[in-house]
Amino acid sequence: MTSLLRRRTRTIPNDAPAPVISMVDVGMTYPNGKVALTDVNVSIPRGDFVFLVGPSGAGKSTFIRLLIREQLPTHGQVTVAGRDLLRMRRSQVPSLRRRIGIVFQDFRLLPNKTVWENVAFALEVTGAPGATIRRRAPQLLNLVGLHDHAHHLPTQLSGGEQQRVAIARALVHDPAILIADEPTGNLDPVTSWEIIQLLIQINQLGTTVLMATHNQEIVNAMRRRVLALEGGMLVRDESTAAYEREY
Amino acid sequence: MPFLRFIGFSIVRAWQGFWRNAMMSLAATATVILMLVLLSALFIVISGLNHGLAFIESKVAVTARLEDDLSENRLKRLIAEVEAMPGVASVEYVSPDAAMARLEASYREIGRELDLGAPDSNITLFASLEISLSDPDASADVSAALTQNDDVERVLTKQAEYDTLLGIINVIRTVGIVGVGLVGLTVLFMIINTIRIAVYSRANEIEIMRLVGASDSFIRWPFILEGILCGLIGSVVTIFLVAAIWDPIQPAMVQVFQMPTAVSGQFLTTLSLLLLAVGLGVGAIGSWISVRSYLAAAR
Repeated sequence: MTSLLRRRTRTIPNDAPAPVISMVDVGMTYPNGKVALTDVNVSIPRGDFVFLVGPSGAGKSTFIRLLIREQLPTHGQVTVAGRDLLRMRRSQVPSLRRRIGIVFQDFRLLPNKTVWENVAFALEVTGAPGATIRRRAPQLLNLVGLHDHAHHLPTQLSGGEQQRVAIARALVHDPAILIADEPTGNLDPVTSWEIIQLLIQINQLGTTVLMATHNQEIVNAMRRRVLALEGGMLVRDESTAAYEREY
Repeated sequence: MPFLRFIGFSIVRAWQGFWRNAMMSLAATATVILMLVLLSALFIVISGLNHGLAFIESKVAVTARLEDDLSENRLKRLIAEVEAMPGVASVEYVSPDAAMARLEASYREIGRELDLGAPDSNITLFASLEISLSDPDASADVSAALTQNDDVERVLTKQAEYDTLLGIINVIRTVGIVGVGLVGLTVLFMIINTIRIAVYSRANEIEIMRLVGASDSFIRWPFILEGILCGLIGSVVTIFLVAAIWDPIQPAMVQVFQMPTAVSGQFLTTLSLLLLAVGLGVGAIGSWISVRSYLAAAR
């Protein structure tokens, strides 16, 4: 009943743009019986900037894993960039992931490759021609402000700079969606705001941004849409909201 | 072009991976060499014995010693009867004088003179029919038929020698195949292990590849080529080793095993192709199993 009510309240008007992310009655239970998500209904239109908040173990990571098809839901429907992830064949997953950029709290850069090589690697492994790599990598390093650091190794960069490299790498395929999983978790407040400014800039260029975070200050200051998960349930979905519910 | 880029990418990554994990890669290559050396030895011995067997088959299969004083008519009739038997290729009559000449020649070959005692000792040998068979399996039937014939004093066959050699070949073949199979399994596990270590040492890289949308082929083939590279290097080294010792082996193949010279000339090429195919095959299968199980677990 609860899910029916929720679904009714989140009905998309006919003239609304098609959502770039859609979850309908999504539930996820792990083989060990742990319920990670329960009847989640979400619709995120193209170009939105959305925060995904909630305490540890609330289901944020599972939510993200479902979007990049690392896992399939136990029930429900997940649509990303117009593709039904449950009906998608395994061979189609790489093309889905080129429509989604993803960055993590721990950056996940390759330590033995330079900044330029880390970005180029994401193009190289998807079969991009050399000319495309030579054109695209500098563009992205310019976008994130690291053109001068192209030949540095990740260990020679600050945390904020490493996260910028990770963002540049996530954008190599010009994705429709950028998912940032705690991108400021390892950064000081000033650097965190620099990363947020970069994400806003990317969002303004048309990329939908979904950012999972515990950083209340950023969420409260930004006043963007907030999806709050608790115990695997979507307990709040509000536009221009704060980290905590305000009364 | 995309395919060529894929090939180029996979080869470069395989080469880098081989040397990044050099100790394990070289250890796996060494086991490939060991297996292929054993396989070469088995192949050489079995081929030699097979040619020896073929040589025996091609020689006189059945000899029928004839009774003394056989008339020319009875001899002609007997030859006609034998020629008509199934599995008989040809029949040659060896007179007592011809048999004696052969015996003397065989003594001269080993540097001795045939001593028949006094010149008037009047020793003669049996006349005989030397029967070549088109089907070696017909030996028993032909022998049985001749034994029943009153014009035949005794029947001699090469069947016992043939059976002995065949038995030796079968034992060597069985032991050799089991030995090479066991070493082959060791090599397979060695390659699986080597590639698994390579895969796990690059788990971060693989995860990033998957997240940025690399297809399974881009992830899988560099590792498979790395395994193939172990097999290829192992094969090439073994081919050089066999080629280096081929000069002393070749005359033995011709003389000891009666291998025709023309066949002997082609033998190294055949063996090289076999070594290449087995080396590449084991490398490919081992790395395929390793990467496949990892990717299946990572899905």
